[in-house]
Amino acid sequence: MDQIVGRSGTLLTLDQVRAAVSFDQPNLIAESDGKRIRLEGTYLVFEKGVVAAPDGPITSFEISMELSERYPRQEPRVFETGERIPRVAERHINPNGDCCVTVWENWLVEVNDHTLSSYLNGPMNEYFLGQFWYEKTGKWPFGERSHGLKGLEEAYADALGISNNAESLRYHLRLLSHDWPKGHWLCPCKSGKLLRHCHRDDLAAMHAKVPPPVARRMLSRLKADGRL
Amino acid sequence: MTKHTKIAKSHDDVLEELADALDIPPSKFEEAKSRYDSIGAWLDRPESSLARYSPAISPQGSFLLGTVTRPLTLAEEYDVDLVCLLQGSKTAFTQKSLKEAVGNEVHLYAAARGMAKPVVEGRRCWTLTYADGAQFHMDILPAIPDAQSYRQMLTEQGHPILATSPDLAGQAIAITDRTLPQYARPTADWPLSNPQGYAAWFRSRMLIQLTERKIEFAKREHITASVDQIPDHKVKTPLQRTIQLLKRHRDCMFADDADYKPISIIITTLSAHAYNEEPSVSAALQGILRGMDRFIENRDGQSWVANPVNPAENFADKWADEPKKEENFRRWLEQARRDFGTYLRSSPFNSIPSPLRENLGSDLVNRTLQAVLPAAAVLATPAVARPAEADQTRRAEAAIEQIQRDGPQSKPWTRS
Repeated sequence: MDQIVGRSGTLLTLDQVRAAVSFDQPNLIAESDGKRIRLEGTYLVFEKGVVAAPDGPITSFEISMELSERYPRQEPRVFETGERIPRVAERHINPNGDCCVTVWENWLVEVNDHTLSSYLNGPMNEYFLGQFWYEKTGKWPFGERSHGLKGLEEAYADALGISNNAESLRYHLRLLSHDWPKGHWLCPCKSGKLLRHCHRDDLAAMHAKVPPPVARRMLSRLKADGRL
Repeated sequence: MTKHTKIAKSHDDVLEELADALDIPPSKFEEAKSRYDSIGAWLDRPESSLARYSPAISPQGSFLLGTVTRPLTLAEEYDVDLVCLLQGSKTAFTQKSLKEAVGNEVHLYAAARGMAKPVVEGRRCWTLTYADGAQFHMDILPAIPDAQSYRQMLTEQGHPILATSPDLAGQAIAITDRTLPQYARPTADWPLSNPQGYAAWFRSRMLIQLTERKIEFAKREHITASVDQIPDHKVKTPLQRTIQLLKRHRDCMFADDADYKPISIIITTLSAHAYNEEPSVSAALQGILRGMDRFIENRDGQSWVANPVNPAENFADKWADEPKKEENFRRWLEQARRDFGTYLRSSPFNSIPSPLRENLGSDLVNRTLQAVLPAAAVLATPAVARPAEADQTRRAEAAIEQIQRDGPQSKPWTRS
């Protein structure tokens, strides 16, 4: 968690990226222009936890990926470059052409391991396996988020473990944005009681799961998307 | 080891067979063993000048660890590292007198056996070279027991738990070094070594798989003996197999730059650290190649590969003065990751891509594939393997079910 809340101060290096991909994704080549690290080549889709399958990968996609040295504080951008996936929202391609692999803050909260390997073998694999399955069946195997602001709210509510109510979600996130939620604030359950006399322990557990920098980012994105 | 060639059906079958082909042949192993047993018997014969010190010969290094790899060419030899341990003390010997006492008996042995090649004195050991056909030489390291000094050293360095371990520190030895100023002087200041302690640490890193493989061996060979009675060298764990493959890859990659190749003790130590009892060679390769460099420490700006049974000893001590050695290690690691990754991740099991084929030796790879695959099954290498469409769909369905059972990490979304 240190990495995502920005306490560690470590920056992602080209060597670390190469170490993460050279074995697992040997057809991706990593290069750096000094500002960003770019991965390009063939991304291999596998069964979870499988090192090698007798016939090779299930499928593969041509991709390009941009990584900031501030990863995982900054979300990577992934582009499908083989023109296999139509550039439409229904196929979870953003208007600017990048793949909407996941709602980043949701993944940061739901998973403990935020290494590049974990991202490549987790959400990336699920996204492209999902794309393959959609090609075959027209269905998304792991479900999908609504588009735009609504999908963000769904993802954040899931991350917090609360029902998806726009007002309640924002109030929770405002509480969680503080280093320690104030006991004299009203409890988000709308009981009218002070937090210290109501769901203080539940909120403390939520605060441990969603640290203030992540909660602030969620709020900030909700505001930005709400203005669109 | 008993050879059971079978038709390969997976990457692991091929890798196991490749590693087996790299191993010292059982007949050669037995020949080497019988020769060093013969030296031991000579040193301990009644008329030996060393007999009162109960001399004992035992293997160290890759022979002890089970990670010997076949020399790259027939012109090269197996390097059999041996310890000649005398039950003596630093009051009975100087380093020089111990070295010469052992050397004297080794010379007599060579003469009695009519060995044509001269016994050669090295900095720390005596080298006994056999006739050309034998394809090995023995490096015999004179030593006396010295666990006490070793434990004291570890305690002073701040490793009290390691110091009290019977397995890791209890069999340490004092050795000789003819380049030291005190070489000929009576002194307690001798170099220390601990090959048995290192071997115990290495064994501890693969104990679960070692035990399981011994159980399988006993079943296969209809042996009723307990697992403890089966010698370690009868089986090979994924860790040992992986190290053999990596050493071979290193040998081929640096065939023209042998002086600067990554040394075996560094590959072995980092591999054993990164190994997590994976049950297959493919999984061991993934775990080791992904993670082995994480065990290179940085101590005050110096890269440090600590001897696990003597953390003050840096196996990478040459890297500071010869940066090319560190560069070569890192270059080799990146290449090994990509070569083994390309085979395991993007190729079908019956097609070994060219870079890996070259870095394991084309002859070895071709011989092995011919032995374990029907001729028609050896494929040319596509950039990325493409399974049949029906298989793709079936596998994707199973993969999806597994992820759904475990809980997917994410759902796709789209920005406005």
